[in-house]
Amino acid sequence: MAEEESQFEEFEQIDFLRDRHVRFFQRTLQVLPERYASLETTRLTIIFFALSGLDVLDALDVIDRNVMIEWIYSLQVLPTEDQSNLSRCGFRGSSHIGIPYSTKGPGVLHPYDSGHVAMTYTGLCSLLILGDDLSRVNKQACLAGLRALQLEDGSFYAVPEGSENDIRFIYCAASICYMLDDWSGMDIQKAIEYIRGSLSYDNGFGQGAGRESHGGWTYCAIASLCLMGRLEEALSQRELDRIRRWCIMRQQSGFHGRPNKPVDTCYSFWVGATLELLDVFQYTNFDKNRSFILSTQDRLVGGFAKWPDSHPDPLHAYLGLCGLSLIGEPSLRKVHPALNITQRAFQHLQQLQQTWRDSTGSCSRQH
Amino acid sequence: QHGRVKIKSTAQQEEEKRKEREKKLKIYVAARDACFSKRKEGIWDDEALQLTQQLLSSNPDFATLWNYRREILMHLETVKDEDEVQKIYEAELSFLESCLKVNPKSYGSWHHRGWVSARLPRPDWARELSLCDRCLSLDDRNFHCWDYRRMVVKMSGVPVDQELAFTDRLIGSNFSNYSSWHYRSTLLPLLHPESPEPPSPCRKSPQTSPPPSPQTHSHRVCEEQLLKEYELSAWFYYRWLLGRAEREEMISCVYVSRDEERVAVAFSRPVNAQSVGLLLVLDGQPQRVEWRSVHPRFKHSPICDLPPGTISDITNEHNLTVHWTEKHTHRDCALYTGRTESYCRDSATDQELFRSELSVEKTSVLQSELQSCNQLQELEPLNKWCLLTIILLMRALDPLGYEKETLDHFQTLKEVDSMRSAYYSDLCSKFMIENTILKMEYAEVRVFSISDKNLTTLCHLDQLLLVTHISLSSNQLQQLPPQFAMLQCLEVLEADNNCIGNLEGLYHLPKLEEVYLKNNKISSLADLQPLASCPKLKRLDLRGNPVTQTANIGSELAELLPSVTDLLL
Repeated sequence: MAEEESQFEEFEQIDFLRDRHVRFFQRTLQVLPERYASLETTRLTIIFFALSGLDVLDALDVIDRNVMIEWIYSLQVLPTEDQSNLSRCGFRGSSHIGIPYSTKGPGVLHPYDSGHVAMTYTGLCSLLILGDDLSRVNKQACLAGLRALQLEDGSFYAVPEGSENDIRFIYCAASICYMLDDWSGMDIQKAIEYIRGSLSYDNGFGQGAGRESHGGWTYCAIASLCLMGRLEEALSQRELDRIRRWCIMRQQSGFHGRPNKPVDTCYSFWVGATLELLDVFQYTNFDKNRSFILSTQDRLVGGFAKWPDSHPDPLHAYLGLCGLSLIGEPSLRKVHPALNITQRAFQHLQQLQQTWRDSTGSCSRQH
Repeated sequence: QHGRVKIKSTAQQEEEKRKEREKKLKIYVAARDACFSKRKEGIWDDEALQLTQQLLSSNPDFATLWNYRREILMHLETVKDEDEVQKIYEAELSFLESCLKVNPKSYGSWHHRGWVSARLPRPDWARELSLCDRCLSLDDRNFHCWDYRRMVVKMSGVPVDQELAFTDRLIGSNFSNYSSWHYRSTLLPLLHPESPEPPSPCRKSPQTSPPPSPQTHSHRVCEEQLLKEYELSAWFYYRWLLGRAEREEMISCVYVSRDEERVAVAFSRPVNAQSVGLLLVLDGQPQRVEWRSVHPRFKHSPICDLPPGTISDITNEHNLTVHWTEKHTHRDCALYTGRTESYCRDSATDQELFRSELSVEKTSVLQSELQSCNQLQELEPLNKWCLLTIILLMRALDPLGYEKETLDHFQTLKEVDSMRSAYYSDLCSKFMIENTILKMEYAEVRVFSISDKNLTTLCHLDQLLLVTHISLSSNQLQQLPPQFAMLQCLEVLEADNNCIGNLEGLYHLPKLEEVYLKNNKISSLADLQPLASCPKLKRLDLRGNPVTQTANIGSELAELLPSVTDLLL
């Protein structure tokens, strides 16, 4: 009897608990525990994880789309009447600055209010996921805000007031330009130079020149180049093969982000998607990858954690799902590896872009 | 009833929670608004520092507040004297330390600390290094801390060998500290400023400038014998050091045959046949010929046919030159009277195709490295990086001399890292093929024999243009790929006891007479179709293949391959 039970339990161990994950994301969208307070300024990214997670689970029907869309638009930093704040436009992470709630312009001038490149990126993605047509996004303002963030060396700040600058924000910038179908938001050539400069001797990418190779930064580098359409131009075949090798060596059971670090659920996406973009994901071991991701599944609360027997969080919950989607988990929607949204949301974007091009009657302004 | 604790009603709980949240929100909003109004009014005082400190303690990634603090500090610099400023900044560093204790991975905190350290009137770099030491002792992979340490070292002029000693200590206590190894890799070039760029590939786009030669750098570093260490970073570093520099693009072989009146060209690197822009000059006259690839599915390796009668008369001598106009290079080939064929070729050794020429000093350094690696391997027999590096060192030093050890190590590697055993099998196949090519050149024969070597894949087929006899028997090959069609001189092919089901590459091989494919996986008549394009095929051994069970196989083959007189089923 006991043997039967434990066998049944073992079988359950590798079960994918879809409903738990839906509820996990629902709760994320309602209230976050106190320990997330330090993430307040980046709240929109957490929203994105939850929304995109629900999209991957094909469960967007559990939320009120319109309410969410309105809230996201309230985070847009719009131009003021005299357009003096264009270089600060984009989306902010939350209402922490204290700007009064408003979903339409003109913008209110506040000396310390500005967009944040990662919020603009996740804000646009979230709107697309919710089926919005981006008609209330002030595209020119977003692009002006983006231009103001790029440095001479090609990398980006996160905010116009200044912050650290590195390859993560190049990825955000490239995604924004790609979604808005307008590359005037950045100097592509300089960005490519920064990316190339970040390629380390061991064939992974660091956050910048001379820094340690890392799965996350490698994803940012390769995904950016793919979105720009410059992958084969910026990197030679030899370099690409070596990068493939570095990435493939990250698989231990699941994936880790750096040599000699423990495997972590989120890298099943960061490194997995990179391998997919480099056309070699099919050479990885799907079974071991899946087993590891599912070992970090929280059976009670839903979501995924970075390691087994750890607390789940929205980032790992979302990226764990994406990792499973890459290996073809049946109940999950496919994810666009470079843009990090579902293929369904991506198709919606493509249709939108077609409408934009048709209405202007000209080709998209590409570089 | 069942011993359960009485819980408060949900409504009551909700209300209490709401009140608490509202209280917290009030405190937060008050502090925040106070900060902003002060900043707006240009007030940069201690109270402002207090307020921002309060908020940043719970949320160190509120970037606006760090910016405000920087404004305050910069203002205070202008109104206080140096000693006071020093005290203020030191207090700032203490505050940052407490922030970092709570969240050692906060971008905002580290960024601010870097800013402060750069502005401190009398910086105490020893203190900064000690902070890094403590931080790294808790988490030696914290890249924020490593990046900060790099900045400190740069700003303070800490001697590089002192930092190297630091990494020695870290590595001594934790063998597997990849970040330490990475750090070492950035320190070593600082010790040798005459070397080219730090070990990273070129920064310009690949088309505009060639990469710095790793060989130059390795020569320098190895000679200093600083790399005595054996960890992951070092393995990757070795791999890069022992990597092959980009080969110059040139024509490596030209082959001319009177019988087919054909010219075949091979290059040092794969080149697209159609677009390559070759010019054939025969006895001083440019020829109008059409270059094509040897196989429709394989774009490299061009051949062309001369107009009939051009060189067929064996009493005539001819001089051919193949010009690669784009690269301003060419190859001459003389076809002598009485000869049916001619060729001109650089050996793989001369071309340094498989390994680079080593100086005496470099050889001795690599040898001592190999010795050390071997010792390590005895201590850590399951360390796959060690095994792989030993293999690469052996290939750099003496591929033929170390062949047996290489095979043994690959066997161990496949067991130790079974997830990548297919990769190792393919890599081993590549190395065995390279060795066989070297042996063939040394013996100055045109026979390529590589049986019973667990080959899983074929490569370097572009080096086998001149081979007349090839034996691939008793391996694990599954196909003869389109590249096989490069073997324009092939007369006899032995490939018994493999898993071959695909013969695509046996395509228009003009001299192929005998093919032995006993005990393979050829399953249908369609698989044998390519053989019909080989005009001189006489002998074919298909015993032990599923296709022999096909109905009327004998007569089908007679129809498909009429030139075959000797058929074994």
